[in-house]
Amino acid sequence: MKLRDFILRRLILAIPVVFGVMTMTWFLSYIIGNPVAMYINTNTPASAIPAIRRAHGFDEPLYVQYFLYLSGLFQGDWGISTSTSFRPVTEIILLKFPATIELSMIAMIFAIVLGIPLGILSATHKDQKIDHIMRIFALAGVSMPIFWFALMLKHVLYFQLAIAGLPHLPGGERYTLIRYLSFKYTTGFLLIDSLFFYGDFTLFVDALLHLAMPGFCLGYLTIAIITRMMRSSMLEVLREDYITLARSKGLTERVVIYRHALRNAMIPTVTVIGLAFGSLITGAVLTETIFNWPGLGKWAVRAIFSSDLAAINGFTLLVAFIFVTANLVVDLIYGVLDPRIRFG
Amino acid sequence: MATEELVLKITGLKTNFYTYEGVVLALDGVELFLRRGDTMGLVGETGCGKSVTARSILRLVEPPGKIEEGEIIFFDSDDRSGKITPIDLLQLHPEEMLHVRGKRISIVFQDPATFPNPVFRIGTQIAESVLLHQDLSREVVEMKIGEMRNSLTGDLPEERRSQVVEKIRYYEQQLDEPPEPDDKDKKKAAQIVAEEMLKLVKMPSPSSVMMQYPHELSGGMRQRALIAMALVCNPEILICDEATTALDVTVQAQVLNLLNELKKEIGASIIIITHDMGVVAETCNWVSVMYAGTTVESCATVDLFANPVHPYTAGLLTAVPKLHDTRERFPQIRGTVPNLITPPSGCRFHPRCDYCTEICKKEKPELKEHRPGHWVACHNPLS
Ligand SMILES: Nc1ncnc2c1ncn2[C@@H]1O[C@H](COP(=O)(O)OP(=O)(O)OP(=O)(O)O)[C@@H](O)[C@H]1O
Ligand code: SF4
Ligand SMILES: [Mg+2]
Repeated sequence: MKLRDFILRRLILAIPVVFGVMTMTWFLSYIIGNPVAMYINTNTPASAIPAIRRAHGFDEPLYVQYFLYLSGLFQGDWGISTSTSFRPVTEIILLKFPATIELSMIAMIFAIVLGIPLGILSATHKDQKIDHIMRIFALAGVSMPIFWFALMLKHVLYFQLAIAGLPHLPGGERYTLIRYLSFKYTTGFLLIDSLFFYGDFTLFVDALLHLAMPGFCLGYLTIAIITRMMRSSMLEVLREDYITLARSKGLTERVVIYRHALRNAMIPTVTVIGLAFGSLITGAVLTETIFNWPGLGKWAVRAIFSSDLAAINGFTLLVAFIFVTANLVVDLIYGVLDPRIRFG
Repeated sequence: MATEELVLKITGLKTNFYTYEGVVLALDGVELFLRRGDTMGLVGETGCGKSVTARSILRLVEPPGKIEEGEIIFFDSDDRSGKITPIDLLQLHPEEMLHVRGKRISIVFQDPATFPNPVFRIGTQIAESVLLHQDLSREVVEMKIGEMRNSLTGDLPEERRSQVVEKIRYYEQQLDEPPEPDDKDKKKAAQIVAEEMLKLVKMPSPSSVMMQYPHELSGGMRQRALIAMALVCNPEILICDEATTALDVTVQAQVLNLLNELKKEIGASIIIITHDMGVVAETCNWVSVMYAGTTVESCATVDLFANPVHPYTAGLLTAVPKLHDTRERFPQIRGTVPNLITPPSGCRFHPRCDYCTEICKKEKPELKEHRPGHWVACHNPLS
């Protein structure tokens, strides 16, 4: 009951944010250029432009245009991506989104599976050797630019090993192109398609190998952020009185840490994880470009270079929605982790 | 004091804190003894080391603190045979210490706002200790019998009824030698034990409190919940570290009364840490006074109030305001509490003492039986 009210309230609160973002992108497309640009490119004959104007309502008053834009968004008309052979933005997003999500998910899994235990380890071994190593590892993660790290990783684990004729990780793409040619996706998620729809285990492994380097690369920053957050919130929680109480009950150190401290320490960490998920999508822009990953990030980069306004808008909107959704999920997890929040 | 009466005996306990400013010599030879069934007050000014003593007993002193030396002998009595085994808690393997904490010796802390874990239900937090320390096999069988009996009160066809009666008989036979219960039954039984405990500490509407989180309770209720957590495994010794200080006066009185009543019920020996002499007078039959990390006086409560022998205790008692007090200014002990990084030599009280002599500055007075049943650590006791 209470949880349902809580979810509803958060959902309602998300609505103005979404509207705000939509308004902002609309406004920006006016500032950056003429919104008609969403529907034309250099090859469009000049004589056709007035017709296009009219067709999309660009000669109407501003407020009408605004509502046309909004209703367009709701009806799935996000404009035409001029840099991608004039296909509708929504179609391309649907096509490329799974690749990006798959990569981000792997990065996120790396980040959570490594970040949380490393943070705990670091906190419980504070100022010992293992803690110092973890802290250097995390510091490197937050301070290394992602493109540099990606290039270095690719250079060592792909180029150098390949030159030396050693087994190496694939340097790009989602699967070995020569072997599988153009794979027909069902869901768009290669790991799922290969395993459940084609039952092709070698392709699954191939996909995993292709994900390893870009996934880790994209996730490293998040691993580092989560490790640091987990370490500091764990250290803070371990100083709390309720930990002393737990110890005074005769619980083992393991139970004290993993039952009593972890859940409390997770509360701030979950925020960071939620925010990080949003930034993974933006981080994918660089990673996808370097690893030639056929996802949204690479598409967005090309769109920027060719002033493909509709594509840029679409990408911005999508990232914003992901941020909003991630925040929503964070709030929900919060409510589950911390009973005090449901009433706040 | 005859050791067979004792349940806890601390000698020469030293605990230090290694801070950036220097080594805080927080406890410097604390001596305490607690007789079985007694309620002992542990009093002293703030910072004199009462809490550190309590934590040292359970070995809960956390870094940068370290227990340096001393003996903490716990005379554990077996519940069934009544056989008493002395255990030096400081020599105990950390793993064995886990069986002492919460089971043989438990502690109720000062601040009910910060001590319960905010993310777990009260019931879960009490049941946790039960699951950890109690065998529960008997409780599980009793629970099953109870459930069967309950179902008998409803409308049952005759045939079914006789089956249930048969089942009850079967379980009753198990009572003498209950089988190892499975985890699910154990958890249920632990919840029942926990709820019983909440009733015992007079928690209002215990069954709903079981399902509530700490932030949903008042301070007094939380303190009751903490007491329930501490008592649920029938400890030999209960330490209350200023368990009532954070509560307002009426609630304080309720909790103290509760402790007095519970004492009869569970037969634990109690240490009440406080700086309120009124609390000591009302609840404790024995009292130990601490000053700057040392025990200075230890005797029956009446004896202390009538004839304090240590200059510090005497000063402490005259500073307590009384009803119909006509004094304009309360006498206070001159000087201030010493810094424990560089404590005064000899008797730690000497810079503030009116009876100080040469030997006091050089030699630390030992806690000695000054007259029968009255221990004091002073070179020049008052009477
Ligand atoms: N974590 C710590 N770090 C450094 N010093 C500490 C620490 N904990 C306690 N001490 C020192 O130990 C001494 C005793 O502290 P303790 O908490 O036992 O006092 P107390 O008698 O319980 O006082 P109060 O009545 O205020 O609770 C203090 O002087 C303090 O300086
Ligand atoms: S030992 Fe000396 S200084 Fe200490 S209390 Fe006794 S008389 Fe005073
Ligand atoms: Mg204290």
